[in-house]
Amino acid sequence: MGAFFRLQWSGILVGIIAGGIALALSAPAFLSEFNLFVLLRSICVSLLVAYAQMVMLGVGQMNLSVGALGGLVAVVTGGLMDALGVPTLPAIMIGVAAGGAAGFVNGWLTVRTGINGFIVTLATASAFAGINLGITKAVPFYNLPADFVAFGNGRVGLFPLLLIVPLLVTVVLALFFARAVPGRHMLAVGGNAPAAQLSGVSVPRAIISAHVLSGLLAAVAGVLAVAQLGSAQPTIGSDWLLISFAAPIIGGASLAGGAISIVGTLLAVVLIGLIQNAMVLVKVDPYWVQFLLGALILAAVWFNRYRAIKVGEI
Amino acid sequence: MTSALDAEPRPSSASAMDPAPRRTLTSLLLRGSTQAGLFVILVVLWVVFANLAPGFLSKFNLNSLLRSVAVDIVVGFAQMVVLATGGMNLSVGAIGVCAVMFSGYLMQVLGLPIPVAIAGTLALGALLGWLNGFAIVKTGVNSFVVTLASASLFSGGMLILTKAVPLNGLPAEFGAFGKSAVGPAIGSMPAIPSLAVVALAIGLGLYVLFKHSTLGRQILAVGANARAAEMSGIPVDRTIVFVHALSGALAAAAALMLTARLAAAMPAVAGDDWLLPSFLAPVIGGTALSGGIVSVVGTILGALLVSTIRSGLLVLEIGNFWLPLFLGAFLLAAILVERGRAAYVAREQARRA
Repeated sequence: MGAFFRLQWSGILVGIIAGGIALALSAPAFLSEFNLFVLLRSICVSLLVAYAQMVMLGVGQMNLSVGALGGLVAVVTGGLMDALGVPTLPAIMIGVAAGGAAGFVNGWLTVRTGINGFIVTLATASAFAGINLGITKAVPFYNLPADFVAFGNGRVGLFPLLLIVPLLVTVVLALFFARAVPGRHMLAVGGNAPAAQLSGVSVPRAIISAHVLSGLLAAVAGVLAVAQLGSAQPTIGSDWLLISFAAPIIGGASLAGGAISIVGTLLAVVLIGLIQNAMVLVKVDPYWVQFLLGALILAAVWFNRYRAIKVGEI
Repeated sequence: MTSALDAEPRPSSASAMDPAPRRTLTSLLLRGSTQAGLFVILVVLWVVFANLAPGFLSKFNLNSLLRSVAVDIVVGFAQMVVLATGGMNLSVGAIGVCAVMFSGYLMQVLGLPIPVAIAGTLALGALLGWLNGFAIVKTGVNSFVVTLASASLFSGGMLILTKAVPLNGLPAEFGAFGKSAVGPAIGSMPAIPSLAVVALAIGLGLYVLFKHSTLGRQILAVGANARAAEMSGIPVDRTIVFVHALSGALAAAAALMLTARLAAAMPAVAGDDWLLPSFLAPVIGGTALSGGIVSVVGTILGALLVSTIRSGLLVLEIGNFWLPLFLGAFLLAAILVERGRAAYVAREQARRA
């Protein structure tokens, strides 16, 4: 039990299990196949959004443009399919590449101008949102290829087809940060940038790579959101900011950088999805979700701190 | 925000606070303070917009620009006072919407006299800000995380209580104040809107606080180096709680001004929309994210710059939809130009030394 308590994400797992049991007892509809499918599908996009921010927290920076970037990729991909008739796969690839390019712009501006990354991404978020609105004039793209929309809504039993993407990404990211040199470099820079620089790590390159990776992840999230909704809405991404920070932070990432937890982030997204699902099942005002999410972040950071003090990390 | 790339050169706070020895006009352009540089950029933009679109200098446009910039200035102040300690307040907008709805509730539903409602609203803002500061100090958690969470708590709580229903039956005098102006209109120059006077008065108060009071000096000392401040006997925790309460009260003041301008209390008017302006005005104006340096005049000029760009692009009829793109790009450019100028000054000084 002591060893379990030492794990950063132990509290979240307990929360998920307790919440799941409570929900199953109070709302029988919770365990229905369709509801579990809805729950799993709702976490697909959130998970990628959370990873997009987690990568930035790992390198000790923030990306406030995650939502705007994802929204831009969503309408670019949707626009390519609808307005230009580009086939599904090339459209997705161009969209995701655009997301990587947008991430590169964020990273390049942060490194080259020396302006704080917080301000840079605040400004580029406005810019990306402007391009999004300029392209769409706030009108969604509806005519998307049937196979693409079918993928967004398809399921095998209770598992949505969409889930394949975030699971794949989870494995790749876990390997990347555990084994790959660029991943280790990012965490080294996040942990202590001057020390990393002195050890021969290129700090600018690590930061730009993190921004590109963050852009790619947000882009994939944007594409998944389009598939899930069945249309490229210009409003995609406008409500991602809170969850992008909430999940990694609840999952135990440090804002100071260098410390991230993929399992923690994953569990946090599941917990948030569970809360949203519960609100629907027990028919509570949807505004409560926002309220509870705020309370959850505070509780989680407080718990993590308490845990860290108990096990002597601080 | 302990970013290694926070390459902002960190002058001592003393020199940053009094940047104006006597200078000639030409050297002022290049070697002056951030605020002087901003002023020049502003003048250039005004000349450009006035030439491209005659409507820019119309009485109507200037009046609406001044009334909206007044709110942005106070929103910027609400962020600036927290930035001074090296923290940030992401809940400025959330406190704003809570204050908007609370003022509407006090005036319309409870029928309280306007001055009482104003006092009550400012007190609510200060209380919510105090809660932020209290949570930050007690838990030792980064202000970014705490205010991100509290923003969600505050706006969620407001929506649960109000069901997002706007209040339209505010006292007529309150809305009339939002439209009123001080002094005569001269030629095409409109009279100065009362709201702008309120913003300037708040600015004056903050100027006195930071420039001439012990408390203001303590706030900047905490921002420049919290440990050193603690060693020198400054109550760091109490100072941080104070700036958050002040930030909440300022956000509430901006909310009251906005409610007066719109003559209605609507839940959708602040919130996320205030996030960008709240940071841009102080940061463009030379307030450091790392803390210890503030500029009241710079925040006013920064808010003016943002509003000028927005208003100018609207008058030029550059599609409303593209506006955020230009806003983002212009703002990055403005910061870059200012950085370039500051770097040039630093090089010049190094060369002479």
